[in-house]
Amino acid sequence: MVTILEAKDVNKYYTVNQNEQQSILKDINLKLQKGEFVSVMGPSGSGKSTLLYNISGMDKVSSGSVYFGGDEISAYPEKELASLRLNKMGFIFQHIHLLKNMNMLDNIVLSAYLAKKSSRESINGRAGELMKRTGIEQLAAHDITQASGGQLQRVAICRALINDPEILFGDEPTGALNSRTTDEIMDILGDIHAAGTTILLVTHDVKVAARSERVLFMMDGRLVGDRHIGKYAKEKDDLKARESELSGWLTGMGF
Amino acid sequence: MLLRMMNNDFKRKKGIHLVLFIFILLSALLVSSGTNMIIELTRSINHLFQEAKTPHFVQLHSGELSQEEVDRIGSWSEANGKVVQHQVVEMVNVDGSNMFMGAESEKSSVMDIDMVVQNEAFDYLLNLDSQIIHVQDGEVAVPVYYKQARDLKIGDTIRIDDGKFKRSYRIVDFVRDAQMNPSIIHSKRFVLSQADYDSLKSNAGEAEYLIEFRLDSLASVGAFTSEYQASGLPKKGPAVDYSLFKTLNALTDGVVAAVVILVSLILNVIAILCIRFTMLATIEEDYREISVLKAIGISQKHIKRLYLSKYMLMAAGASIAGYAVSFLVNRLFTANIMLYIGEAPKTPMHYAVPLAAVAVIFVMVVFFCSLVLRRFKRISAVEGLRTGSMGDTKVRANRLSLVRNRLLPVPVFLGLKDVMQRLSMFRLLLFVFIVSSFIIIVPVNFLNTIQSPSFISYMGVGQSDIRIDLRYSDDVESRYRELVDRVSHDPDIAQYSPLVTSQFKVLNEEGAYDNLSVETGDFSIFPLDYLNGSAPSKDDEIALSYVNSKEMGKHTGDTLIMTVGSRDKTMKVSGVYQDVTNGGRTAKAVLPYNGDEVLWYVVSMDVKDEGAIPDKIAEYEKAFYPAKVTDLKGYLNQTLGGTISQLKLVTVLSLVIAVCVSILITSLFLRMLVVKDNAQIAVLRSLGFALSRIKIKYVTMALLVLFVGIAAGTILSNTAGQLLIGGIMSFFGASQITFIVNPVYAYVLCPALLAAVVAVTTLVSINSIKQSNISKTIVE
Repeated sequence: MVTILEAKDVNKYYTVNQNEQQSILKDINLKLQKGEFVSVMGPSGSGKSTLLYNISGMDKVSSGSVYFGGDEISAYPEKELASLRLNKMGFIFQHIHLLKNMNMLDNIVLSAYLAKKSSRESINGRAGELMKRTGIEQLAAHDITQASGGQLQRVAICRALINDPEILFGDEPTGALNSRTTDEIMDILGDIHAAGTTILLVTHDVKVAARSERVLFMMDGRLVGDRHIGKYAKEKDDLKARESELSGWLTGMGF
Repeated sequence: MLLRMMNNDFKRKKGIHLVLFIFILLSALLVSSGTNMIIELTRSINHLFQEAKTPHFVQLHSGELSQEEVDRIGSWSEANGKVVQHQVVEMVNVDGSNMFMGAESEKSSVMDIDMVVQNEAFDYLLNLDSQIIHVQDGEVAVPVYYKQARDLKIGDTIRIDDGKFKRSYRIVDFVRDAQMNPSIIHSKRFVLSQADYDSLKSNAGEAEYLIEFRLDSLASVGAFTSEYQASGLPKKGPAVDYSLFKTLNALTDGVVAAVVILVSLILNVIAILCIRFTMLATIEEDYREISVLKAIGISQKHIKRLYLSKYMLMAAGASIAGYAVSFLVNRLFTANIMLYIGEAPKTPMHYAVPLAAVAVIFVMVVFFCSLVLRRFKRISAVEGLRTGSMGDTKVRANRLSLVRNRLLPVPVFLGLKDVMQRLSMFRLLLFVFIVSSFIIIVPVNFLNTIQSPSFISYMGVGQSDIRIDLRYSDDVESRYRELVDRVSHDPDIAQYSPLVTSQFKVLNEEGAYDNLSVETGDFSIFPLDYLNGSAPSKDDEIALSYVNSKEMGKHTGDTLIMTVGSRDKTMKVSGVYQDVTNGGRTAKAVLPYNGDEVLWYVVSMDVKDEGAIPDKIAEYEKAFYPAKVTDLKGYLNQTLGGTISQLKLVTVLSLVIAVCVSILITSLFLRMLVVKDNAQIAVLRSLGFALSRIKIKYVTMALLVLFVGIAAGTILSNTAGQLLIGGIMSFFGASQITFIVNPVYAYVLCPALLAAVVAVTTLVSINSIKQSNISKTIVE
């Protein structure tokens, strides 16, 4: 097994009222293996999203170190972090955050055109392929105002995957979607994982977490639980059974 | 919560609030000083006219006036019920070449010098304490114009010397003359004692008369003027009335006051623009908080009032400070009024009117703030809480596609697309850039035009390699003949043209004779471009300069009566040309020159070998010292040197103002934009856009708007700007200026300077994006 992402003694705190410090992450130690599909759960305010943004380099840790592919990215300057996000990481968010003044295809190819890892023809081809895979190929030229929430999140997934990232981070990617669309999105993420991409998701939803192979549980800024539930195979696994097993564990953790 | 928000806003944007405060303060200061000038001017003129007992109607009469005619005026006046007082003022006109107020004579001065004694009944000539002047024998009181122009002091002497009559007078006072004070009036009255006046009159100069009346009421002036015109009494000269005296006295300082008030208003507009951007940025930043306030039921009116109170407080503070400071600087603005017109006793008006003007500035600021705050209506509590942003102002349809873009780098394309889709938001910035380009390019183009050799065509002179000017001296006539003889035999000279300017008398509409400077010679050798018509070719033709044509009301094809060799001759106007020299008042004819009234001699010539011009200049300088021998460029520099150096100052000043305004507005606009685009910037960063690439996007946006602004500003400069300069220059003699553009300055260096300034300002203004927290923005 190869460790793709590692957090060592990571702390995050904010200074409030001059001298008083508010701790959000406390002594986080975590390793993610290449190809893993991990969910982070926990009550509101437990620090799930903060953990995601701090170990992805989107935010600076207050102390401790974060390693990506063996390199300490917590010491990287902003320019190298930007390059890392562009070339090796993908992000999807609850509020989707597509660029309003661009159509669907432009939103998807934007970061690939910037990265210039391949020709524009090949980028356009990959975008078409991703859109087909996520079932939105007919929306390429549409403005983002002309699509549903589920369709927009599919566009966001295509955008996150266009540069073929080593790891995909998701912050409540299904948080604003209905249950049917959530299932569809999770199917897509399952396929992406099956194709070898590492995924780290933050979620409130047990049903979403049940699709992953490992669940981390956070409480008051600490990582207090880490459970391997095995890879999910849609064809043979009973999702309901995984959900109920996970719920039981979470209840035991105080969720 | 709102008070805390206000307090935070003040702390966050100390710099811009300070700039806003200063702008409003300066605007208040200038409007207060400008209105104070107008009050001071009006009151002082009234005071001066009251003390001087200025006549209500004055008829100038050139030429003789017999005792019989004086008596006739007296009996007519007594019979006229409107006349309260009348008098006939005799003046002795002294030729400028005979008057010395220092080493140099006043030959080249445009002023008519008139010697008078103090009047007894009215039209008093006052001193600087507004007291009636009395001088003793050997003393003189000199018009205040010369105090300023020649830097004269009490105790200095002036001298009259026409070769036969020589007399010096000691200056004991300076004259405030309600009729002839302003420098735009080309007659000035000097006060002598009766004995000195009589001595002067019998020895030198010609007499002129002012036939003056004080009427029962100002309302009678119109009717009285008609009665006088119909009376058959002497009237060889213009008639002037009380209201014209007032207007002429008020003109110079009135224009300055108007300019000061205009500058104040411009400053206020800039302040208002700054406030707009600052407020919009603040509203964007506080959007969520405002939504919360709305959601918990605080009325829009209340929120608006609290926001408004901050700017009201600032505007009130700045306005009061500006009003207070104006009392310290008012003396600077009114120095000229104090010198020429004097000071009237202070009244409450002196304080109330400037205060009211400052109040207008304050109300303008508050009203505009109130307009901007109408935006609160558009804030929906739900939308604000959900998105935390007001979104874009009018995003246009999505026409540009990244996929179809093959040429531009991604950040540049994003910048271009953003501008195209949010045009309405960039309108104001575009306007500022157009104005900035205009106020840079117009002076630059005009400076280049006035420095260009072809500007000679606006100076009533044809283009020649060398020009030799001979000014008046005792032996000038013989030196001129010697010069012409030398040039005509010089084998290096390709062609030459001797031209002599002398004064002729021309009959005006009132039936009196005016002096006209007429250049005589052959105008076909070094031809000139004419506005209309052509150069005179026959001895009964005359060409007039633009100013003369306008003032005399004579156009091409019209005729005028000129005294040539003691006989009146009808001359036909052959053409009108532009000339900014000699006050714009010149003429050209192919007559023999008037030998008694020669002003100067000029010989223009072309040298066969252009490379030999410097040597030829040196040769003639040596041979005909102290004649002025110049090439075209040298002549332009000598004639326009002062104007060019002033214009250079104006050009630099315009450049500095345009650059400062561009920096200020760009900076505020970009700060507002960055706040507005906070979410979009965070998304781009999450996608892997480095800060440098995001900066490229914003620099592209600013430069794109700038380049459109520069293009529009350049087109405007070369059209409207050229017309504007033509309008201004028509007062000086050139009405149809065509800009000669130096493309390197106008199209490369100035735009490059603005582009560099805007690019650097943009980079500095958007530097705050690196402090923004991507995750926080995205999660919100």
